[in-house]
Amino acid sequence: MEAATSPSHMTEEEHRRQRFWAAARHNLTAYIFLAPILIFFVVFMALPVVWLFYLSFQHDGILAPAQFAGLDNWRRTFSDGLVVKCIGNTLYYCVLAIPTVFVLGMIVALSLQGVRRGAALLRILIYFPTLQASLIVALIWTFMIHPDFGLLALSIRALTGVKVNFLGDPHFAMPTIAMIEVWKGLGFWSILFLSGLLALPSDLYHAAELDGAGSIRRFFSLTLPLMKPTFYFGVIFATIVNLQLFDSVFVLTDGGPVNSTATIAWYIYRSLFTFSDPGFGATLSFLLVIVVLALTALQTWLMRERTP
Amino acid sequence: MRAARQRLALEPSPAARMLATLVLAITVVISLAPFFYVVSTSLKETKSLFSYPPRWIPDPVYLGNYLALFEKHPFGWWLGNTLAISAIVTGLKLVIDGMAAYALAKLDFSGKHAIVTALLISVAVPLAALLIPLFLITRSMGLIDTRLALILPPLANPLGVFMIRAFIAALPDELIHSARMDGAGEFEILRRVVVPLIRPGLVVHATFIFATQYTTFLWPLVAVHDLKKQVITVGISSLRAIFTVDWGLISAASLVAAAPLTIIFILFQQAFFQQSLAGALKE
Repeated sequence: MEAATSPSHMTEEEHRRQRFWAAARHNLTAYIFLAPILIFFVVFMALPVVWLFYLSFQHDGILAPAQFAGLDNWRRTFSDGLVVKCIGNTLYYCVLAIPTVFVLGMIVALSLQGVRRGAALLRILIYFPTLQASLIVALIWTFMIHPDFGLLALSIRALTGVKVNFLGDPHFAMPTIAMIEVWKGLGFWSILFLSGLLALPSDLYHAAELDGAGSIRRFFSLTLPLMKPTFYFGVIFATIVNLQLFDSVFVLTDGGPVNSTATIAWYIYRSLFTFSDPGFGATLSFLLVIVVLALTALQTWLMRERTP
Repeated sequence: MRAARQRLALEPSPAARMLATLVLAITVVISLAPFFYVVSTSLKETKSLFSYPPRWIPDPVYLGNYLALFEKHPFGWWLGNTLAISAIVTGLKLVIDGMAAYALAKLDFSGKHAIVTALLISVAVPLAALLIPLFLITRSMGLIDTRLALILPPLANPLGVFMIRAFIAALPDELIHSARMDGAGEFEILRRVVVPLIRPGLVVHATFIFATQYTTFLWPLVAVHDLKKQVITVGISSLRAIFTVDWGLISAASLVAAAPLTIIFILFQQAFFQQSLAGALKE
């Protein structure tokens, strides 16, 4: 703008200076707009990540003064029985919950796709559990699974005579938490898959029908392959979220019984307040950050492959 | 919506339609049954819960659980804190994200690529992993046990910048150029030209931030210990810490806590689903 109105007899030097100030002004405006997010980003996001790395080489720091620990924490991460159990439990939970919610979500999405009347109301009702806080969902489910007054527990007792203790048995506790989280997540995944289904090209389906492909055939050779990008995105997003499982564990079992529901996030929380060992907790946290960033990189790569 | 209608040119068979209806009916029942059972529980005295066989319809209807929430526990504080903090975070976040999104979408400056990369990477950083350093940083700022500790850290979340940037990037550049020609400053352009055009997207984004804030648990659990300053999720979980758990009280608390978000969701559901079904993946 500046250059367009400047007289042509200006020297090279003056032109350059003018361009420099114009660029500087553009930069200044942009950085004024960016300043708030950048300040919060540096203090509450970038600094914590750097601090995690630093803490992973320390002992104590909450009650006693911090001490340099060398590689102790890192060595301990893969040998500490409880940590290994937490990592195993978290992965076990992901394997239970993610495939289940995907299959159920896909079934609900396919059912929703054909609905002509009342679709809006159905979506609201199905989305209702997703909307609530995990903590509230966990508490509401207590009223389903409590051995004395839980609706589900009482129904099973009335039908089979067996008194099931969902959370008291180490074999049942994690599957129960997975069931609760699947119940909460079903609305989200149904809507996400529905949005994927609605975006599929309908002419392909007409062509397939003209070729005599039945609905089951169309599902397996058209819908599933075409939904691949949604599934790629979904699996990795779900893994990232579920690796951080905490709320329902905290309120329902607090890691028990016999540490059968102790998760990575639960351990990180405990390392700060119960074990007073933030250095070790930070090491586990840093590991979690690296794993999640690697998964995200994989996700970006897979998505790019699909949409050039 | 038009795409959806076209799809239906391929009519599902009557059997498929019946199956779909059955699936949806079961899903709705399973999704809602726990809530209804909790409503019935909240209207009973806790000791009557333990009678077997259970009485499904509370008789007499008992309101003591709801009254106790406000009389014996700081439930009013929790509700008020949560609503206020969620509203403040939502307001601040819209301004912060909107400004950053405008700069990234429509302004030219050096270092843009580096900033976009840094913010994009941090979208993926799991917040549970930052718990320990966030606690130490907040403590060194002297903010532990203040409501400010619940407001400031969430402002760093960069996800909204990218959502709003996508809305702004979709606006034609000429619009902004011509506003500049008319002598408008960048702030004025953002406020007068851009914001009115992306309002539907902003509304959806606002409900999203509000809901995230309203349901947050882990950070408040760590950052605030004074029950009067606490948010509703942690507050309710603290009701459990009592020796014998008062289940009637907890059922009432869960329902009251679920109400505000439900109302907000019902108000904005149309815009929300339009946005979600338009393809969350299209970017």
